[in-house]
Formats: sequence, C-alpha cells, structure tokens
Amino acid sequence: MPVFENTEKMYEVLGGLFRGLMADPEVLKSAMAAKITILFNITEPAGQIWLSHEKGDVICGPSSLKADVTMTLSGDSCHNFWLKKLSLPIAIATRKIKTQGPIQKVLKLLPLLKPAHEAYPEIAKKYNLPM
Amino acid sequence: MSYIDLNVELSPEHEALKKETHKFARDVLRPASLELDKLSDPEDVIKSPLYWNTMKKGYELGYHSIFIPDTWGGMGLDPIGTHIVLEELAWGSADFAVALGVACFPAFFASMMPNDRMITEIIEPFCANTDATFIGCWGITEPDHGSDTLCPGTAAFTDPAISCQVTARLEGDEWVICGQKSSWVSNGTVATHAMVFLTIDPAMGMAGGGIGIVPLNIPGVRRARPLDKIGQRALNQGEIFFDNARIPRDYMLVDPESYEGIVDLTLATANASMGAMFTGVARAAFEAALAYSKERIQGGKPLFEHQHIKHKLFNMFTKVEAARSLSRAALNYNLCNTPPLTHYSIASKVFATQTAFEVADAAVQIFGGIGLSKEYPIEKFFRDARASLIEDGANDTLMITGAHALASY
Repeated sequence: MPVFENTEKMYEVLGGLFRGLMADPEVLKSAMAAKITILFNITEPAGQIWLSHEKGDVICGPSSLKADVTMTLSGDSCHNFWLKKLSLPIAIATRKIKTQGPIQKVLKLLPLLKPAHEAYPEIAKKYNLPM
Repeated sequence: MSYIDLNVELSPEHEALKKETHKFARDVLRPASLELDKLSDPEDVIKSPLYWNTMKKGYELGYHSIFIPDTWGGMGLDPIGTHIVLEELAWGSADFAVALGVACFPAFFASMMPNDRMITEIIEPFCANTDATFIGCWGITEPDHGSDTLCPGTAAFTDPAISCQVTARLEGDEWVICGQKSSWVSNGTVATHAMVFLTIDPAMGMAGGGIGIVPLNIPGVRRARPLDKIGQRALNQGEIFFDNARIPRDYMLVDPESYEGIVDLTLATANASMGAMFTGVARAAFEAALAYSKERIQGGKPLFEHQHIKHKLFNMFTKVEAARSLSRAALNYNLCNTPPLTHYSIASKVFATQTAFEVADAAVQIFGGIGLSKEYPIEKFFRDARASLIEDGANDTLMITGAHALASY
C-alpha cells in the first residue's frame, strides 16, 4: 500500500510542503538564485510536481516548463527522501531515484532542499503518514 | 595550437574556459611536468618547490574543485565545461591533470552526502583552499586487488570468496580501519585526506564495502615512499597503511547497502574523466608531430611533404577527433543521468587511452631518432600514454566489465 493513497493526496501533502517553503523569503531568494527548475516525476501514485525558479512557483500536474533537473521516483521514495530516511546518493545507487540533468545542478540542489527536510516530519505527522 | 570545435553550440563561456585552461596548461603545467620528469627519485619530486608551486597555482585557479558545485565554492562547471578543462589540463600534463582531479575526490563525494560535519570540515575548507595544503586522494586498489575492485555488476563482485583487505569495523561512534592500500594511490604520499574504499561485510564479497573519508594525520596512518614508475612521474603515487586508524562515524559516507551502486557511479565518472584527459594527451602528441613534420627536412623537403607522413598524420588527427567525440558524449551523458550508462564511460576510457598510446607511438616514429631522446616531450607523452592503459582499471579488465552491459542489448 503506497504512502500516498492517490495523486490528489500526494499533491496536497508535497505541494503544501513546497508552497510553505516558497513562502519563506530566504528560501525563495535561494531558489531563484540557483536558477534551477526541478521536476519531480512521481510514480505510485503517478504525478508531477514542478518547482520553477522563475517566481518560485509550485505546480502540481503537467506543465510546459522546461526542467533543468528531473528526478524520477516513487511516492514512497519521495516520502522517505523528505523524512531523510533515504539519501540521494544511496537512492541513486539503489535505483530508487533516477535523475536527469547536470550532476553539478543535482548536487547544487541538496543544500537548497535542507529546509524541506526540516519541515516535512511535522507535515507527515499532521497527515498521519507513516514515519 | 588549439583545435576546431565541432560543437557548434559551444558558448562564449566554454571558449573562454578553453583558452584560459590552455594557457595554464601551456605556461605552467607542461614546463613543470617536463622538468620534474627528469628527477630520478620520486621523493625529490615532492621535495621540489616546483611541484608545490605548480599545485598551488592549480589551486589558486580553482582547478582542484572541478567536480564540485559553486554552491560550496567549487568550479561549478557543466559537463561540457568539465570535459574541456580536463582535456586541456592533460594536454599540458597528464601527471598534474590526474593529481588535481583526484585531489577533489573526498570533497566531491562529501558534496553528494553533505551532512553538517562534511560541509564544515571537508567541503568548504577544501574549496576555499588556495595553497594546496588540503589534498585528497582515492584509495581503492590493494596489493592483492587491482582492476577487480572496479567490476560492479559482475558475478565476481558479489562472490563471498573474494573481498578486499582494508577493513572497517564500527566501535561505538567510530570506525576502526586496518590494512594496506596499494602503491597506486594517486596523491597517496602527499594527500591530507583520503577517500578510502573499505570492506565492512566480507560475506557480501567485494560488494560488502563502504567509503570513508580519512584525514591522514590521525594516529594509525602511515605512508610509504612514492612509487618510481615509467610515466606520469610528477603524479605522486604511494601506499597507505592503516593500523587501527579511527574516524568519526559521520565520516563513513557509504555502507554495504549502496556500495556496489556507488562504485558503479565512481567508475562512470572516473573513466569518463580519463577519456577526456587522454584525448588531451593524444592531441598533444599529434600537435607536436605535426609541427615537427613541417620543420624537419628529409630527402630535400619537409617531412610533411612526404605522402606517407601526411597519411600517418591524418590518421592521428582522425583518431584524436574520434576520441574527443566519444569521450565528450560519454562524459556529458553520464554527468547528466543517474544511474549512468557506465559501459559508455569504459568505452571512452579504453578508446581514448589506446588512442593516446597509438598517436604517441606514431609521433615518436615521425620524430625518428630524436623522438627517442629527451630533447622533445614526445617520449614523455609516449610513456604517459602507456601508463594510462593500466591506470584507473586495466583496459582488458574494464572491457570485460563493460561487456556485461551488452548482454541485455
């Protein structure tokens, strides 16, 4: 049984996580300065979440944006990644995450994602997701 | 002399990067490596102010941080920029190109797993270093394990009867490391920090490994004398011994769960980089032979005017261009996709190093007798290229590993 019962629930939880982050002026400033548009291409449940560096937009669902970095992973891997139960290199090594985009940009994302790691456990608790 | 880039989408920044790196390679790396090559004792190389001034200059210009994102103060290059820099550095000196590339390894790996301790103790200080007082090395091979450490995905890698000798065991909050790494550890006797590939669970065979960052000034670490070898003599290499050396728990970046996959990623990155670098060595040999062929008169006319020499030079030119095309494509793809297609990196390494060897060999032949002397750098290119057929995995063994991927085609 996947952590996220359907796409809508996943958009609500993960979309909420990113929108909350982008509301923080410091995070928004860093995200825009990095000039990286990220696409999380998620399976089980299927969905797409885009983080655009242009205005710090968070888009849940298909978009015509051009991704600099695409990360393909399952909803469960996504959940475990934000809970810091799954590190990026280990996820890559064990084929749980596939990335497309220059590795320098992928690595550049890691410090930017730190606030999301910090915020996610509370959100997971709020939605009663397995910890 | 530069080359015509067939990539019509190269940016002005790439062109500037190529020009700047070429200048450094021509004015600093090439003369230094030729001078250091004359020293008969490799211990004298690392005692030489020339060696240290050259390394420092590389650090001042940031080449030591080639694989690290600019977030941490690294060069922050895209894959094409990385290829351009590696080719140019090795055009000047394969020795220093490898030394600067390997210096980056501990911090590069740490940047993939940037916990707070790695950031403040490894990544940031390494990137900020400008006087070559923070040097990394890559300790993987051992006296009884060479190219077989680089065969992830094959049955041998998970055979419980075969495991590496340098071990790590967890005691409280520390990893305790014992064993010996081989004399082929690049930067081995000058490095301050090692990225060490270790055996944690021998029951898993070679796959039961871990990767730890080991500061080399801790108790229990000892270094041997630098290795005396045929080529790349300015590249320091030497054994490292660990006798109950202790590192913090946080310094173990990879455990057996993901070791095989990370070895695969490492191989894909390292072999793709070797492909780029030895395209540079092949080009250096070709350019030297071309220039000489226009100066040297034989049979009443320049060598270049002899049909057989023209034929030989064009063959060399074609091989260099083919090596660049394959190595750029492989490096670009594998620095843009994970998991990588490692067999393309292997193909790039095997092809580019073989090309460097064949082109350097042909260049010696064009130079004739003087090519065998130390009056021209050709004989050094030849020796450097010969070493590359074994360095970073012997080509024969790498091809067996690469061929495993072809089974599923």
